[in-house]
Amino acid sequence: MKRAIAALIMLAGTAGAAGWISAAPEPRPAATMAAHAADVENGKRLYTASGCLSCHLPAKDNKEADRSLPSGGMALHTPAGTFYPPNITPDPETGIGGWSDIDFINAVKLGISPDGRHYLPAFPYTSYSQMSDADVLDIKAYMDTLTPVKAANREPDLPLGLPVEAVMRRGLGLWKMAAFEPVSFQPDASKDDVWNLGAYLVTGPGHCGECHTPRNAVMAMDEGRRLAGGPHPEGVGNVPSLRSLKARGRYKDVNDLATALEFGETLGYDKMSSGGMGAVQTNMSKLPPEDRIAIATYLMSLE
Amino acid sequence: MKFELKVSARAAVLGLAAASVLATAATAGPIEDRQQAMKNVGKAMGQLAAIAKKEAAFDAAVVKAAGESIAENAKVFKVNFPEDSKDGPPETWAKAEIWANMDDFNMKADKSVEAAMAMAAVTDEANFGAAMGALGGSCKACHEDYRRPKE
Repeated sequence: MKRAIAALIMLAGTAGAAGWISAAPEPRPAATMAAHAADVENGKRLYTASGCLSCHLPAKDNKEADRSLPSGGMALHTPAGTFYPPNITPDPETGIGGWSDIDFINAVKLGISPDGRHYLPAFPYTSYSQMSDADVLDIKAYMDTLTPVKAANREPDLPLGLPVEAVMRRGLGLWKMAAFEPVSFQPDASKDDVWNLGAYLVTGPGHCGECHTPRNAVMAMDEGRRLAGGPHPEGVGNVPSLRSLKARGRYKDVNDLATALEFGETLGYDKMSSGGMGAVQTNMSKLPPEDRIAIATYLMSLE
Repeated sequence: MKFELKVSARAAVLGLAAASVLATAATAGPIEDRQQAMKNVGKAMGQLAAIAKKEAAFDAAVVKAAGESIAENAKVFKVNFPEDSKDGPPETWAKAEIWANMDDFNMKADKSVEAAMAMAAVTDEANFGAAMGALGGSCKACHEDYRRPKE
């Protein structure tokens, strides 16, 4: 992440005025959305798979807050600064209750806020961009059913005294030009439906690559080393590779990994708790069993 | 006779010295000690997990021994994270958050000991699953906050 900032500053220095202007957010217009009848149940499933609540929790010292609702505020410490993920309950003033469908799609898939800011990539739109519009709109439909919470948002603390407003209006746009290419998930026709569902859940909503895929010089996920592990994004320790899980003796077979994802340490799988994986495993335990099998099928297939 | 006594006395002294060396090896430092304790817990958890996954038949004697071993080893966690053991060598995966939240850390260690003793008291398969969930959950609760990802 430190390199990301260095890259950002370098880009900012060289790109000049033209770059500065073209770094403005370019949201999708509403006309690009197909008509969609929302499926709230599917939305709940993908909200869980996406781990929305895990980051949008209330601050740890906020004892009154309901921790089952994503009212935001919990500090997320990274070498690129401390972020406070915002309130995403449907409160119209402090949450996202006033958002239209296209607002939500632009935020989740392009990292652009309704008021024309770029979101910091700690919000994993770099993975969520792979999701279908239909799934993203289902998530919104589910989130609209949550209890609204009034909780004001807090700006990030950026290192080196970087100005938040300039970074979020333009600076991050320069980073996006270098490192973010929104692509929709493409199923592999040579693989079966279970494998493709797993690949989709891992790559899009599950955003596993955000931690498990090492990053390149501009801090984009290095697709050539997909899920091969690397330094932990919070700067302590390493994130394990998800490749060759069978050959490395981590899991015997697909069922073994699916069981690990469901039960974690309650069945003695002790690699499922540290570094943020505990929250991920808790989310996985709430998915339908066929989703865990799909995820395990895809991951166990990676050489 | 005198000579023999001397020899045996010397042997005894040597024996003591050897014993103390062995003892030192077994308690080389808090990091080694807690890592050994974790390994012992892991071994016992493996036996319990095999039962939970139906790879092994329920056996009250195995459950009792495993539960007691985990309780005994988990007690060590409260004394084996002194201030001066934040960094190795040997390499440690303990996070600095432990020492910033020692009360919470100790409370979580207590919970593991309690859950392990509850496991040791399980005599029938009907109560095993819940005890396993509580025990494994107590491991997870601590590892989530206080252990760096390994590898």
